[in-house]
Amino acid sequence: MVEACQALKKQDLPPPGGYKPIPFKRIPAKTFFNGYAMFAGYIGITAGAMYLYRLNCKQIKRDEIEMRSAKMAIYPMIIAERDREFLKQIRRNRDEEAKLMADVPGWEVGTYYGEPVYTNIPPDTLVEPIFHEYYAHSSPKEWYRRAHLKLWS
Amino acid sequence: MVVTMDVKLPEESELTVPEVNISGPTLIAASFHLGKYCEHANNEFMLCRLEENDARKCINEGKAVTACTMEFFRKVKKACFNEFNQYAHCVEKSSGDFSLTHCRKTQGVMDKCMLDKLNIERPAFGYFCEARVHDTKRPKPLEEPKAVYPDATPALPEDVEKKPARFGNRFYWMTE
Repeated sequence: MVEACQALKKQDLPPPGGYKPIPFKRIPAKTFFNGYAMFAGYIGITAGAMYLYRLNCKQIKRDEIEMRSAKMAIYPMIIAERDREFLKQIRRNRDEEAKLMADVPGWEVGTYYGEPVYTNIPPDTLVEPIFHEYYAHSSPKEWYRRAHLKLWS
Repeated sequence: MVVTMDVKLPEESELTVPEVNISGPTLIAASFHLGKYCEHANNEFMLCRLEENDARKCINEGKAVTACTMEFFRKVKKACFNEFNQYAHCVEKSSGDFSLTHCRKTQGVMDKCMLDKLNIERPAFGYFCEARVHDTKRPKPLEEPKAVYPDATPALPEDVEKKPARFGNRFYWMTE
C-alpha cells in the first residue's frame, strides 16, 4: 500500500526549458513635460486666468454701480411718496387710538395714562413708531404681508 | 403709539397729490433720464430730508419731486412712447433683478430718441452715485444747542494754583 502511494506522487518541477525570466525592469510612465515646463505652465495659466478674472470683476463692479445709480435716481421719488403715505397712516393710527380708548378714563393718546414715552424732547417731535405700533390697528393680513415681504417678493 | 396729540400732523388733503402709478421695472428703465430731468427737485428734496430728518418738513419738496416725475413721464409718453416701452419690457423680462446689462440695443434706441426729441442726454453709468453739491435757498436748520445742566459740578477756576503732586506720579518712569 505504501509503495503504491509513492508511485502515484509526482514531483512539482519547472517546465521544460526552465522558468521565464522575472520582468523586474522598471518601465516609467511617458513624460510629456519636465518639471520646469510644468511650473512655467502653471504660472502662465494662472496669470491668464487672473487677467480674465480681473476683466470679469471690473465688468461686474461696473454693472453694480450702474444698478445702484439707477436706484438712487428714483430714490427721492419713492421716498417722497412713502413719506406722504406714512404721515397719512400716522394720523389714521392716532385717530383710531383716540376712538378706541375714548371710554377709558385717564387715557391720553400717545402716552400710558398721561406718562409719555419720551420726556426730554420737544412736544412737537415726530418719533417714528416701531413696526408693531405702526401696524397695530391694521388687519393681521396686512401685518403679515409687510412683515414677510422678503418671502413674498 | 408714540405720537401724541401735541405732534402737528398735516391733514390728509394736504398730502393727497396724484401719485406716480408706475411699476418697478419701468421706473428702473427710466431712472437715468428721470434723474437727470428732475435733478434739481430731487437734490432739493433729498437735502431737505437729510438735513431736517423729519417727513413733515419736506412735504412741499416731495410734492415737487412727484410733480416733476409725472411731467417727465408725460413728456416721454408723448415723444418716445414706443422706444421707451420696448426698453422697459426688455428690462422687465431679461432678468430677475431688472438689470440693465442685457438691454443695450433697446437702450441705444431709447437714448437716441430721448436725446433727439426731449434733449435729455443719458448720464454716465455712475452719475447718481457721485457726491453732489447743491445750492439751495432753504435756510439751514439750526443746530441743537449744547445741553446746560443746572446741577453740574462746578469746574476749577482758570487761575487756581496747581501744586506738584505730593507723592509723585504712578507712572514716574514715563513722565519724569
